[in-house]
Amino acid sequence: MASWSRPRSLVLAAAAVYAFLHAPVLILVAFSFNESRFTVWTGLSWKWYRELARNPRILDALWNSLVVAMLSTALATVFGTLAACAMRRGAGRAARALDTALNLSIVTPEIVTGISLLAFFQVLFRFADLGLGLHTIVIAHVAFSIAFVVIVVRARLEALDPALEEAAMDLGASEWGAFWRVTLPLLKPGIVAAALLSFILSFDDYVITSLVAGVGSETLPLVIYSMARRGVSPVVNALSAVIVVALGALIVVADRLEKRSAG
Amino acid sequence: MSRAGDNRAIPQLPEWLLLGPAWAWMAAFFLAPLALVVAYSFLSKGDYGGVAAPLTLDNYARLLDPLYLRILGRTLLLAVLTTLLCLALGYPLAYYMALYGGRRRSLLLLLVVLPFWTSFLVRTYGWIFLLRDTGLINTILTRLGLIQVPLPLLYNQGAVLAGLVHGFLPLMVLPLYASLERLDRSLLEAAADLGAAPAARLLRVTLPLTAPGIYAGSVLVFVSALGAYLTPELLGGGKSVLLGNLVQNQFTTARDWPFGSAISLLVLAVVGAALAVERRRREA
Amino acid sequence: MRRRRLLASAVLTLAGCRRRLAGGEVNVYCWSDYVAADTIASFERETRVRVNYETFESQEEMLAKVIAGGSAWDVVFPGNTLVGPLVRRGLLDPLDHSRLPNLVNLEERFRDPPWDRGNRYTVTYMWGSSGVVYSRKALGKPITAWADLWDPALQGKLTLLDDPSEVLAACLKKLGYSLNSEKEPELAAARAEAVRQKPLVRAYINAEVKPQLIAGDVWAAQLWNGDAYQAIAENADLKYCLPAEGFALYADSAAILSRARNKDNAYRWINYLLRADVNAAVARATLFATPNARARELLDPALRANPDLYPPPERLAKAEWFAEISAQGQRVRDRIWTEIKAG
Repeated sequence: MASWSRPRSLVLAAAAVYAFLHAPVLILVAFSFNESRFTVWTGLSWKWYRELARNPRILDALWNSLVVAMLSTALATVFGTLAACAMRRGAGRAARALDTALNLSIVTPEIVTGISLLAFFQVLFRFADLGLGLHTIVIAHVAFSIAFVVIVVRARLEALDPALEEAAMDLGASEWGAFWRVTLPLLKPGIVAAALLSFILSFDDYVITSLVAGVGSETLPLVIYSMARRGVSPVVNALSAVIVVALGALIVVADRLEKRSAG
Repeated sequence: MSRAGDNRAIPQLPEWLLLGPAWAWMAAFFLAPLALVVAYSFLSKGDYGGVAAPLTLDNYARLLDPLYLRILGRTLLLAVLTTLLCLALGYPLAYYMALYGGRRRSLLLLLVVLPFWTSFLVRTYGWIFLLRDTGLINTILTRLGLIQVPLPLLYNQGAVLAGLVHGFLPLMVLPLYASLERLDRSLLEAAADLGAAPAARLLRVTLPLTAPGIYAGSVLVFVSALGAYLTPELLGGGKSVLLGNLVQNQFTTARDWPFGSAISLLVLAVVGAALAVERRRREA
Repeated sequence: MRRRRLLASAVLTLAGCRRRLAGGEVNVYCWSDYVAADTIASFERETRVRVNYETFESQEEMLAKVIAGGSAWDVVFPGNTLVGPLVRRGLLDPLDHSRLPNLVNLEERFRDPPWDRGNRYTVTYMWGSSGVVYSRKALGKPITAWADLWDPALQGKLTLLDDPSEVLAACLKKLGYSLNSEKEPELAAARAEAVRQKPLVRAYINAEVKPQLIAGDVWAAQLWNGDAYQAIAENADLKYCLPAEGFALYADSAAILSRARNKDNAYRWINYLLRADVNAAVARATLFATPNARARELLDPALRANPDLYPPPERLAKAEWFAEISAQGQRVRDRIWTEIKAG
């Protein structure tokens, strides 16, 4: 392309927007290392992290979040991948209808999906002797994750070169063989990326979880919300920092996988 | 030669096995609950929550009440403002990334995506930390001697707007970037050769050609802002009622599930309308 | 060395997250900041029953979850106005007084309260008033009446409770009406007052306002007595006021949900809370008023005689207990609340 020099104003504008995007979180993380509990910098300290590690409520919530995220990711990834394969294959009516339902689930505001599930469970629990709990959270999370898994896996499927599988089959592999030995490995980065996405969505969800959680099933976002409402505490800063770093790492991994597979 | 869509390598598993699990789950845990909400919207309020038998259109009639129309209007306004601000902030950024990013383009993109996937709650909390009376901004301004009394930055519509724009900006940037990346630079060069100034190039060439990205991003942000609930609650100080808060309120404090259901469907209807407009435009 | 211990304790805690104590468990759902530091731990030590303690910030939140059904709490703490609705929906179990020997500790008037005659379903845990906590230093003059909260000098420094009954109570009392009024003209007038006041209001917020009061972000807040005194303990510039026009009284009671699975342990928990020493510790820590006569005797004389926390009869004459509102009245009030919030 023509070697236009970058207009200074554009660079500044872009930098400003980047700053806007990242400042709140970076500042949060920075102040999690602040000695004082107030917004006045008095020195570097790990003490809020130590307090974090000692807090039983947070540790319990972390455990719950991990369990829920892993279970819902496992289910959503399997269901979503299978569905993506079917949708790719020359969409029948059922596949198209599912596609519509999944798109609907993406655009429906969380508050609406949340209260609909709450109402649904209320009716359900009149007949079954169950209650709200981790299981209801998992159910809800799978429901909203499947759509994203399908999107990611389908994108990967579209990008696959059918010639590779054809070649495998021409060389004598059975259909199943070609699938296992060629398609699936090629699909793997997409599946893993989808799984990571689903994990992050689940780990991070507040609105829907707050509505369908029950006794003893407090997840990390619920704790953060509760603590954030009660005021600013550096422990929340520390918790935020941990989450940001952990989820950030996952995103980078997912991104690398996409890059590697696309290349 | 086979077409791209004809992939015989995916074994002829029965469709029900492939689609079944996902279908069953969505039917049971997404469609059925929604159907329940639709049903509830035609029922009457039970004492202290729940629903009661008499079928009625009352809940929909209530939506026409000026009070609720005002809330709808305010929500739409806020969603539009959020979209416009996201566009104003996102376009330069996407432009820079697509046209001048060079080899670092994917890194720059990652830097946009990163905050988006990083806990919405954490980001909102970051705003609280910044905007409180004893938060960072006020502390710095006071230290610099620029203000005597802390500025009331939190608990108002401005804070909510900032939170929403911050939250949904990546949703705008990504489609814009995709659109800008596909831009044929030679068209811009041709325009330059024909003597067009940079501003004219932007207005007459770039913007129209990236219109699909603009629309896609705008719809995404608009739809997300419509259903916003957490940001107005945490940053608004409980003083404003948007559609999302109204729904939550009806299901908890007011214990009027049927009315809450009607409002939910209203929100869905507006979302659906916005999407339909976008699709119509895309197919046109 | 320290780091290894930290890691070990983290791992152990994680592993022990699902520990079960010998005596089983009990699930309790209560207001935040409503127990003393040692209350739960000491119960667990004595009875070997694990307490799963969860808190809420608003009654409505609690009611919504309980009514939505299927929430496996054993003991909940409804306010006096919610007892009726919960009983009518069959959500509460009548209490077996033989399993609550410490019930005799309660003051006479709380053994047969108007909202639950004969303590059939509930046991009063703590009671209190809704007043105003303000910064004497920032305002320069005391606040003595609800009317003072309409002073333009409070612009942006005033908070009210995020609760329709509380906000309407303040407005109704200011106008001289009963705070339980369901009369449309009175409620309409109250709404007008609230709307007039809204520009001054910084936020509608509950106990979460305490840090802001302590930090000086907020100069006047409508708040419950216990929370107000907790803030005062951290900032001596703050004072509590029971407004002259009259104020609201509420009582939080312990009740056992009919769907509870750990009813035995639920009784133990409630009986434990009725113990004089336990209740006194809670009263001392949270600064809410105890309905427990024996516990009150154990309190420090200064605390016992505090006219804000334990108002003398002349003051109580102006007070009104929150009462249950009829379904029709509730509808009117809900709409008014939306109007106030959306205005």
